[in-house]
Amino acid sequence: MIGAMLRATPTLVRVGFARTIAYRAEMTIWILTALMPLVMLALWNAVAKDSPVAGYNQVELTRYFTAALIVRQMTGSWIVWMLNWEIRSGQLSPQLLRPVPLLWNDAIWTLSAIPLRVIVLTPLVAALVWWRPDLVAFPGWPAVGLFFVSVFAAWMIHFVFQCIIGMLAFWLDQTDGLFGVWFTLYSLLSGYVAPLETFPVPVQHVIRFLPFRGMMATPVSILGGFVSPADALPDVGIQLAWVATMLVIARFVWRRGLARYGAFGA
Amino acid sequence: MIQVEALTKIYHVPVKAPGLMGSLRSIVDRKYKDVRAVDGISFRIERGERVGFLGPNGAGKTTTLKMLTGLLHPTSGRIDVAGHVPKERKTEFLKQITLVMGQKQQLIWDLPALETFQLNRALFDVPQARFDETLKELVDLLGIDEFLHQPVRNLSLGQRMRCELTAALLHRPHLLFLDEPTIGLDVQVQVEVRKFILDHQRRTEATVMLTSHDMDDVAAIVDRVILIDKGNIRFDGSLDALARKFGKGRRVVVRASKAELRPLGFEPDERGALVVTVPADEVNEKLHAVLQLDSAADVTVTDPPLEEALTRAFGETEVHEAAS
Repeated sequence: MIGAMLRATPTLVRVGFARTIAYRAEMTIWILTALMPLVMLALWNAVAKDSPVAGYNQVELTRYFTAALIVRQMTGSWIVWMLNWEIRSGQLSPQLLRPVPLLWNDAIWTLSAIPLRVIVLTPLVAALVWWRPDLVAFPGWPAVGLFFVSVFAAWMIHFVFQCIIGMLAFWLDQTDGLFGVWFTLYSLLSGYVAPLETFPVPVQHVIRFLPFRGMMATPVSILGGFVSPADALPDVGIQLAWVATMLVIARFVWRRGLARYGAFGA
Repeated sequence: MIQVEALTKIYHVPVKAPGLMGSLRSIVDRKYKDVRAVDGISFRIERGERVGFLGPNGAGKTTTLKMLTGLLHPTSGRIDVAGHVPKERKTEFLKQITLVMGQKQQLIWDLPALETFQLNRALFDVPQARFDETLKELVDLLGIDEFLHQPVRNLSLGQRMRCELTAALLHRPHLLFLDEPTIGLDVQVQVEVRKFILDHQRRTEATVMLTSHDMDDVAAIVDRVILIDKGNIRFDGSLDALARKFGKGRRVVVRASKAELRPLGFEPDERGALVVTVPADEVNEKLHAVLQLDSAADVTVTDPPLEEALTRAFGETEVHEAAS
């Protein structure tokens, strides 16, 4: 099975990229909807004009939200809407008749969109660097390596959790609302709209063990050089623990869901 | 090849009274009812058979087909398809089957069909050389060469169905499950699709199981019929046996003077031919009487149309559903 999945991957990437290009206009709009860090940067930049906010000066805030912009783009996914629609319309059926797991196919498709995301992202990051050249601070190669591990884990948490909510369409009429709740919590508790250091210290301790931090703040801190690779390791460990937990839950929900599938004229 | 024993599927369906009060009540007190879609059916299909699975809407035929392909999990009973339990969806099982659904598509809507074919090659792990050979064969047979590179959304329904068939057969399945494969197609494409399916089955000796409301599909493709109604099997046998069991007899069709034939019980049909339906053992006697007439010409004896047998099998009230 794993051998067949790996052999199928180059074609999945190629077809996934072709699909991304076919939907390039929609994709670009989709990508642009994830530019919240730029809005937050403008806001926090004004707040930090006279004195640092939660330990971040203006340059650091610019670096923080530039890193947040990159992480947000690298971790984006649309699987929740896709699965919800496929289950409810019965369009899941043709996919289930293929021997490679559906979610592998979808995961590769999501990752195949990254080149387009990079194309959209590059001029934005270039503009930020042009505006504030001192935001660039190379964190060192160990940090870069750890960042890639961390951002991949962040993407996995996003993707697998979206899968779980999408799969709830096996039982619920609409899962969009549920995703809205999740996304609100993510925006507040991940460091997407503000560095987590703006929360009171006891709240920060709780947030550290929730999945949201690993979806944004952990990779952002590593890329921005706000934490050393050694100090970031426990947080990456928490991320990986959440990835494993989500995968176990997703597997359970998928199996139970498939046993229910069909009540929708599948 | 396919063995089904006491197969049952019960859907647990929510029910709600109409209107605002019904909606509000369903929030706090949601009610369900059990719908027995398939009720303990058993049958066996051997390798290379072409079987029509027929019945009115809601009879349980598509539910059965989906359980045989592993899409639905049975409530109880046993299914063995090519030595596998379908709901486990093992790779070896999926590589042996295909399901063509006239109302669902596997082609990627915004890309050329060729991309879906390539995707299926990768997903079914088909060696490149075998894929190229099968694709060429199917492209030639189905005549899809000229629109292989056009996005699927720009194809006509007939072109799309031919590409769907190609996508479904590229991994050379031994078992073809066809669910309304000609629905919505124009008459010419319907004929082409039927001919292709039959030719394909004869060349590959695949086992075919078909559900269709179109009796022309049934007459052209299958040689055995299983009738299902309200989740139960009502008949299992050959098309001839179906006609004998539920048909009123044989049809004698003659072109001759109306005045001469009326006393023999002939009535004009919708096409103007004179027809009488008689029990099989009275056909010779009727023919003898007809041949005495000077004006008799073009005498033919046929089975009654399949619709007629099905109408009787399912009862008058289900005529439209069974034959529409």
